[in-house]
Amino acid sequence: MANTKGELTVTGVNHSYGTGKLRVPVLFDINLHINRGEFVALCGSSGSGKSTLLNLLAGLTKPEEGSVTVSGEEISKFSENQLCLFRRKNMGFIFQSYNLLPNLTALENVELPLIFAGESVKKRRAKATEILNRVGLDGRIHHRPNELSGGQQQRVSIARALVNQPDIILADEPTGNLDSKTEQEILHLMREMNKENGTTFIIVTHEQEVAEQSDRVIYLQDGRVVQKRTRPA
Amino acid sequence: MKVIDSFRIVWRNLWRMKLRTALTSVGVMIGTAAIVAMMALSLGLKESAVKSLENFGNLTEMDVEPMYYNQEKDEPIPDDQRKRLNMEAVQELKKIPGIASVMPVKRLNEQAKLKVGRREGYVELVGVDVNESAAYRKNDVEKGNYLTGSPQEVVVAYDVPREMRDVEKEKREARRRNSGGGRQSDMPPDMMGGGGEGAAFNIVDKAATLVLTREYRIDDEPKFEKKELRVRVVGQLRKSENFRYSSAVYVPLSVVKELNDWVNRSRGNESDEGSPRRTREQAKKDTFEFDQMTVKVESREQVESVVKALKEKGYEVWSPARELETINKFFFVIQMVLGGIAAISLLVATIGIVNTMIMSILERTKEIGIMKVIGATVFNIRWLFLMESGFIGLIGGLAGLGMAWGAVELVNYFGASGGIMDSLNMGYGGGGPEGEPSKLAVIPAWLALFAIGFSFVIGLLAGIFPAIRASRLSALQAIRSE
Ligand SMILES: Nc1ncnc2c1ncn2[C@@H]1O[C@H](COP(=O)(O)OP(=O)(O)OP(=O)(O)O)[C@@H](O)[C@H]1O
Ligand SMILES: [Mg+2]
Repeated sequence: MANTKGELTVTGVNHSYGTGKLRVPVLFDINLHINRGEFVALCGSSGSGKSTLLNLLAGLTKPEEGSVTVSGEEISKFSENQLCLFRRKNMGFIFQSYNLLPNLTALENVELPLIFAGESVKKRRAKATEILNRVGLDGRIHHRPNELSGGQQQRVSIARALVNQPDIILADEPTGNLDSKTEQEILHLMREMNKENGTTFIIVTHEQEVAEQSDRVIYLQDGRVVQKRTRPA
Repeated sequence: MKVIDSFRIVWRNLWRMKLRTALTSVGVMIGTAAIVAMMALSLGLKESAVKSLENFGNLTEMDVEPMYYNQEKDEPIPDDQRKRLNMEAVQELKKIPGIASVMPVKRLNEQAKLKVGRREGYVELVGVDVNESAAYRKNDVEKGNYLTGSPQEVVVAYDVPREMRDVEKEKREARRRNSGGGRQSDMPPDMMGGGGEGAAFNIVDKAATLVLTREYRIDDEPKFEKKELRVRVVGQLRKSENFRYSSAVYVPLSVVKELNDWVNRSRGNESDEGSPRRTREQAKKDTFEFDQMTVKVESREQVESVVKALKEKGYEVWSPARELETINKFFFVIQMVLGGIAAISLLVATIGIVNTMIMSILERTKEIGIMKVIGATVFNIRWLFLMESGFIGLIGGLAGLGMAWGAVELVNYFGASGGIMDSLNMGYGGGGPEGEPSKLAVIPAWLALFAIGFSFVIGLLAGIFPAIRASRLSALQAIRSE
């Protein structure tokens, strides 16, 4: 079997929310292939279905029709528990609102995925500290989220997404809450991680800046992919 | 996820909402305290009741006789269906689980006198099968050894040397007292008598004489004949609560058989020592029966089952242990009633835990979503919430146990000084046999462990529904919620 790690394939996906008269179709006939190590921006106007598509890729939502294959596994057929295990091993998430656990320190937040994976205290502490240093948070690892700035919190959440060394990182407007200077820093950091580890990044974004720095931009309009632009070399 | 890590997370969550954790555990605490305290009280009362019973004799030792009357059918058991106390019966009894050993005895039909030096005392000759009874009595030997089978050896009960009196000296002293006026009247009477507890003297390894007297009639004139047996006291048993053996002198079975023959023999029979007697003795051997069998039960817990088994086999049991059944039934009912009341309070506590857990899940919906997205499995989430509610139960259980322990100490303290125990024991005649003060309530280790385990299980049960609910939350929706 070919090495399909870090690849994502979406074939013939249609998706809608609600049932009966309240049914809202959101995605229409989506076909996509994302290669390993690609840094992809998912753009489009508000309500075009970007988040919905990202959640489908993450297995957080199941497509009504069609299939989603990640790293060679058809996750759209997985059970809830299989999805949990699959995410643990293969995917990392970065949210717009950081979604750190407020009662845990930065270090503990980053350790959490490793705790669920059953990693020993020593190992996971070392790994978490290392990755936190890597994202530039060395001095503040024992602070809680409410003692950190938005940019710092997002760094923690990036560290948390990366600590399991996943093949794919999915980010929904990771810089949406940050000022443009911090946005640049975070973006730079993600790009670095992408280059260093060959991790596939899919980033939902509104910002033109993000789109410009990515390998490829996928435009969504009213639930359809209207343009797949590869960055000019 | 490692178990230790999960406990750390659970503990952290409980600590985060200390007040709610504490208040919820209070429910369990009260329920557990109620159960433990009530059980402790009824166990304590039962124990002192059983102890009082033991004053009447050792409960693990019981006398077995054939059953003469069928209680169920309400009719006497015909002679040919009655159990025979022969060696076969010994084997049958030994097979009953819980019976440690069987001692078949044949008593001398006449009272005998034991003389050692100048002291003498009335004793009861108990003939035992040396082999069978060795297993039974060997551990009871306090001084010297047990019988080995020689007909010249005897073993005496604890009280025998203590009951012996120097008759000559007593007579002399009585005479002196009469002549010497009140000069020695301040002397305690038992000192003068040479008998009683304080004046025991050692007769082990001493030569002794057994004196038997038989009465027979010639032409309706009562005549007495004496027989003396030279024996050696090889051992003395320790104090036993079985009063039926308090003045026993144990001798080999054959000795008692012979002596019984001698006692029963009429004048006429003695004259012809020919063959008829031999054959009669032969016949007697085949149908030989013991007077009584005393069995020893391995432990007090097995007494009831042994009594039941014996009755089923057609034996009658004479022992204070028969009362155990009544006591047990009585306290079983009490425990059931008290247990029922406590169970209701625990049910209420359980509902409290369920409520708290559902609240926690609502509050932590977002957290659960995040955990699911970053790698927690359905099982992980369930485990965390189950443990959380289990711990609430456990905390309540520990606190409740502590509370019950305090209550028990108080009750025992005031109960002992207030004399409640005395009035309760009046009918039985005092506290335990060793004179240790009886307790009104006791918490045995098993009860404490049970209470802790039970409260934990209550917590776990209460957590099942909330845990399943938590694990079913959709990660996406959970994350979106605020
Ligand atoms: N849970 C839901 N139930 C019903 N409709 C939904 C749900 N989630 C999204 N929608 C609808 O689906 C459409 C796409 O939503 P989605 O969140 O994917 O848009 P988006 O591209 O991420 O927009 P934004 O840039 O504002 O975040 C919208 O019309 C929205 O109203
Ligand atoms: Mg969105």
